[in-house]
Amino acid sequence: MNNINPDTNQEFCVIGKRIPKLDAAQKAMGRAEYIQDIRLPGMLYGKILYSKFAHARIVKIDISRAKALSGVHAVLIGEDVPDKMRMGFYKDNPPIKKGKVCSFRDEVAAVAATTPEIAKKALGLIEIEYEELPAIFDPEKAMEKDAPIIHEMHKSNVLNLPWHLDYGDVEKAEKASAFVVEERFTTQWVTHCCLGTSGAIALFDAKSNLTIHTNTQIPSLAQKDFLESLKAMGLKNKRVRVIKPIIGGGFGSKLDTYAYEHIAILLAHAVRKPVKILFDRAEEFKATSTRQPTVIYIKQGCDKTGKLTFRDMRMVLDNGAYTSWGATTPSVMMMPITSLYRVDNVRYDAKCVYTNNTYAQAMRGYGNPQATFAIESTLDMLAEKAGIDRVEIRRINKNHPGDTTPQGFKITSCGLSECIDAVQKQIPMDGPKEKGIGTGIASLIHVGGGARIYKSDGCGAILKMDDYGKVDIFTGGTDMGQGLDNITAQIVAEELGLFVEDINVVHSDTDVCPWDVGAHASRSTFVAGNAALGAAKKVKETLLAYGSKLLNVLPEDLVLRKRMIFSAKDPEKTMPIDKLLRKAHFSPQGKMLMADFFYDPDNENMGKDFKGNLSVTYAFGAHGVRVHVDEETGKVKVLDYVAAHDVGRAINPLLLEGQVYGGVVMGLGYALTEEVILKDGETMNANFRDYKLFTAKDAIRIKAPVVETYDEFGPFGAKGIGEPGCVPTAPAIANAVYDAVGVRITDLPITPEKVLAALKKKKG
Amino acid sequence: MKAFKYLIPESVEAAISFYQAHSETARYMAGGTDVIVKVKEGWMEPDYLISLKKIQEMAELHKNEATGELSIGALVTHATLEKSLMIRNDYPILYDAVSNIGSLQVRNMGTIGGNLINAVPSADGAIPLIALDGVALLHGPEGERSCKVIDLFIAPYQTILKPGEILKKITIPPQAPLTGSGYTKFGRRAAMELPLIGIGVLLTLDEESETCTKARICLGVAAPTPMRAQGAEAFLVGKKITEAVLIQAGNLAADESRVRDSIRGTAWHRREMIRVHVRRMGLRCLALIKEGR
Amino acid sequence: MTTPISFILNGDELFHEVKDHWTLLHLLREEMGLIGTKEGCGNGECGACTVIVDGLAVNACLYLAVDLDGKRLETIEGLAGSDGTLHPIQQSFVDEGGIQCGFCSPGMIMSSKALLDQNPTAGHEDIKHALAGNICRCTGYVQILESVEAARDRLSEQAGGRNE
Repeated sequence: MNNINPDTNQEFCVIGKRIPKLDAAQKAMGRAEYIQDIRLPGMLYGKILYSKFAHARIVKIDISRAKALSGVHAVLIGEDVPDKMRMGFYKDNPPIKKGKVCSFRDEVAAVAATTPEIAKKALGLIEIEYEELPAIFDPEKAMEKDAPIIHEMHKSNVLNLPWHLDYGDVEKAEKASAFVVEERFTTQWVTHCCLGTSGAIALFDAKSNLTIHTNTQIPSLAQKDFLESLKAMGLKNKRVRVIKPIIGGGFGSKLDTYAYEHIAILLAHAVRKPVKILFDRAEEFKATSTRQPTVIYIKQGCDKTGKLTFRDMRMVLDNGAYTSWGATTPSVMMMPITSLYRVDNVRYDAKCVYTNNTYAQAMRGYGNPQATFAIESTLDMLAEKAGIDRVEIRRINKNHPGDTTPQGFKITSCGLSECIDAVQKQIPMDGPKEKGIGTGIASLIHVGGGARIYKSDGCGAILKMDDYGKVDIFTGGTDMGQGLDNITAQIVAEELGLFVEDINVVHSDTDVCPWDVGAHASRSTFVAGNAALGAAKKVKETLLAYGSKLLNVLPEDLVLRKRMIFSAKDPEKTMPIDKLLRKAHFSPQGKMLMADFFYDPDNENMGKDFKGNLSVTYAFGAHGVRVHVDEETGKVKVLDYVAAHDVGRAINPLLLEGQVYGGVVMGLGYALTEEVILKDGETMNANFRDYKLFTAKDAIRIKAPVVETYDEFGPFGAKGIGEPGCVPTAPAIANAVYDAVGVRITDLPITPEKVLAALKKKKG
Repeated sequence: MKAFKYLIPESVEAAISFYQAHSETARYMAGGTDVIVKVKEGWMEPDYLISLKKIQEMAELHKNEATGELSIGALVTHATLEKSLMIRNDYPILYDAVSNIGSLQVRNMGTIGGNLINAVPSADGAIPLIALDGVALLHGPEGERSCKVIDLFIAPYQTILKPGEILKKITIPPQAPLTGSGYTKFGRRAAMELPLIGIGVLLTLDEESETCTKARICLGVAAPTPMRAQGAEAFLVGKKITEAVLIQAGNLAADESRVRDSIRGTAWHRREMIRVHVRRMGLRCLALIKEGR
Repeated sequence: MTTPISFILNGDELFHEVKDHWTLLHLLREEMGLIGTKEGCGNGECGACTVIVDGLAVNACLYLAVDLDGKRLETIEGLAGSDGTLHPIQQSFVDEGGIQCGFCSPGMIMSSKALLDQNPTAGHEDIKHALAGNICRCTGYVQILESVEAARDRLSEQAGGRNE
């Protein structure tokens, strides 16, 4: 590992060190305050009533008994919600529904009361008469002509979204291919299962400015959503302050605003008191969103040498009854489709289709796991057909630094080759065969240097130093457990010659922190890290200028290290940094050191043809797995797992490994055990008993070799790593199962039942 | 959670008289891991909860070394059974079952009696007690009576217990030498599972360690209530136990089962798991007998 | 319907009037303001509310507060020393990356403590068995298991030091 700072030629003091999470001690002592733990004076408790049908007209709604209950301060129904108050980018989702419900998770009424128990009781007193409508739960059937229309204002259940690209000449390439494989894959609903359930507290001040404490990964965009809600409520030119408490897990779930947040706002406005809404576990399962389920049709081909000739993919996405970010996951699916391995001719089409099911949102990987499942599974099929070793076919087609992919992605650093090496070293794929044992490999590409999906991909940072050599940095970036605070502190400490203990990171309060597009797309280390680095560099320049004056040394000869400033040439010329700061402050025309920096990466929005360099740099990785398949039960047991990732540079290996391990196990759940079971639109397993997360007893030892490629644009060379860990897991498992027992499972999760059924079918 | 009055009798008689005083609105509670969930969810709405936790005689685990009879008080927790070396060595089928019920936290609170009375088709605790020919001792307003553990169950969530009746203890008759037993539950995960199917097998061999003199094949989630595959059991008795014989017993047991499709699993797969695991558990029994347990 | 109870909380004897239907979790969080014990599911399926009663790990969400009468209760708030020093288990979770979002951490640490109190030489499989009821979504358990192993070694070193 290269441990020298290229800027100073000095060994790193802080970067690359296994520094524990800054808030870990607080959390270990039970002192961290989550939304569950916040109680404001005079606070009321809100509860939401959900639909009893997947699709129905609301004929009559009677709230009089609920309103009459002692302790109830407000009861709201769809008619109380301003027409323009609609959630999601497609604006098809009012926070409380009026006239008709389109899914079981539809909100039909909300109550604010003095205790949660009274609020719950009041929900039971609301009488609603429904008239059930024909419902549809299969997205492919929902596309048929005579399917019931879910939103009458649209003529079709197919959303008007532009997910189509066609590069090169796929048909010609297919004809010219020596080998072609074709398959249909399906992926299930899975959900984030944050241990801390969702919640928000909204309150208005006397001038109708809103403060909302809410679990969010997007403080700035949430602020925008809430401002729009206020505007719809007739509250113009008001202030919205978004405060994010410590979050009990994000994983993409908090990337959009939810009905409960807008309902908390409506209730708080109605009662002019703080109103808290906190989900219970069943609600968390039923009324927060899932990963986007998919039906995938894929064709891939190669020439005689194994070089990929084309990739042709078509998807149908179950949009559910409303639209959130799940409907935009095709924009990220495009990335592996066009750019995982070198392939010139690519076609992709995705249709998002309304059904009466739950709707999907962002979840770690944002479509990439689904697309990669199909791509990497069929790559093994293709290798077999072509008689080429499955590792070899990946080497033949691997991406290279300097490549521009068909979608216009400019690959800067690329450690895919080294990742494949690392996997093979740990889990040889060509070893002797044992009965029931198989190995599998799958690779990934992901954005690693931001992702320009919004008008700005930026993040701001404000940095100030006090008289004692301590730093407060106010960042737009959001820590939700993944450890951005550490990354920020380590970057600033390294740059300013301080220790991590000297850095206080303040985040996620829109009153004091600058704008950021959100904690998504594995962008925080790269973008928020570069923002922090930019601010630190500005302050450093001032420090060096003062130091130069006081120590009589040229600024370029000065070094900041271990709380000291000194001359590299003459270490005798030195001074503690805090003393320097006081000298700067307490002198005529004194100065406090402060700086701000807004980093907006030099990436591009995708054009109409979806071409454009989405990210400044791309993350690569390869996973390998050895499994045992019990041929009598169909059960798959993971024996060894290796997840090799090109991370640019590991700013903090301890936290980095944590991201990879956590990602892999989330991916293993996706591959093997997890699914939200919907029966005619209704969630059947809204609990941890029947939604099967891995337990500690299922845990496996995972090896996570780190490949460092020192990306030229990353802060100290780093790229993002939040999501990649869960991207290639499912295909690696599916490929290993095939290797073990010769059956190809194309429908996730790979349950014992499916494996056994496939084995029986194979035996005839 | 709905408000209730909590009563803490210290004897079975006192518990029953509490019940009689509030019979319409009272419920018994042992460890509480099922009852509290039911009250929270509103599936049970008692005005009085009668705690059995302080009734000492119901919390005893005792093996009479002279007679070989094992007595398990209904209040004995899963964790107590799991930690008992005597249970682990002498009743492996029971150890297998109780050591993997829910979480350790639940096993520390949950009791074997509560697990039986809850009467879910998947009750891990019932299968081994049935295989061990367990007898349940009930005590109610009309006095004591006893029944075989398997006869406790009428339907899902329904037992033969009459209003006010309490399951006091379970007794296990002495086990013949050359007996082996084992339980396995099939699920997707290694822990925290309700079984997709639960399979308990107990075999006793004759002195030559060859011919089967007694067989129990007990299945959970294979029918609305825990069941014995008596056809398969009868098939085994009198036979020399080989893998081939166990395969046939597995097939018979699978055919006897009344498995269903549910969100947790399909009937055909459950049937297959019975087939496979009757054999595997049977082989485990043989191995244990060979080891001298 | 309230009942007076007395119990020992993290070494201090306490008296409290509790309503019969309060869970221990309710008593701690809502009545006593001890927010360290978390509610992740309310049904005994996630372990976030794990506390130790008379040496045994239990789910505070399923345990009635009245049943605490006469018992010794340990919660996450009682682990750190009075000088602010973290308990070796807490310190190991911090050092080994056993904590990410932290919501499962108090319960996870209490389950670990109950285990190591009873079995100071617990091996990898013992730890997995004892923590199986504590769900974590962030870490994949890898660094949690490493934390408990490190804590076990730290505690046994300390115990060894005392015995010398």
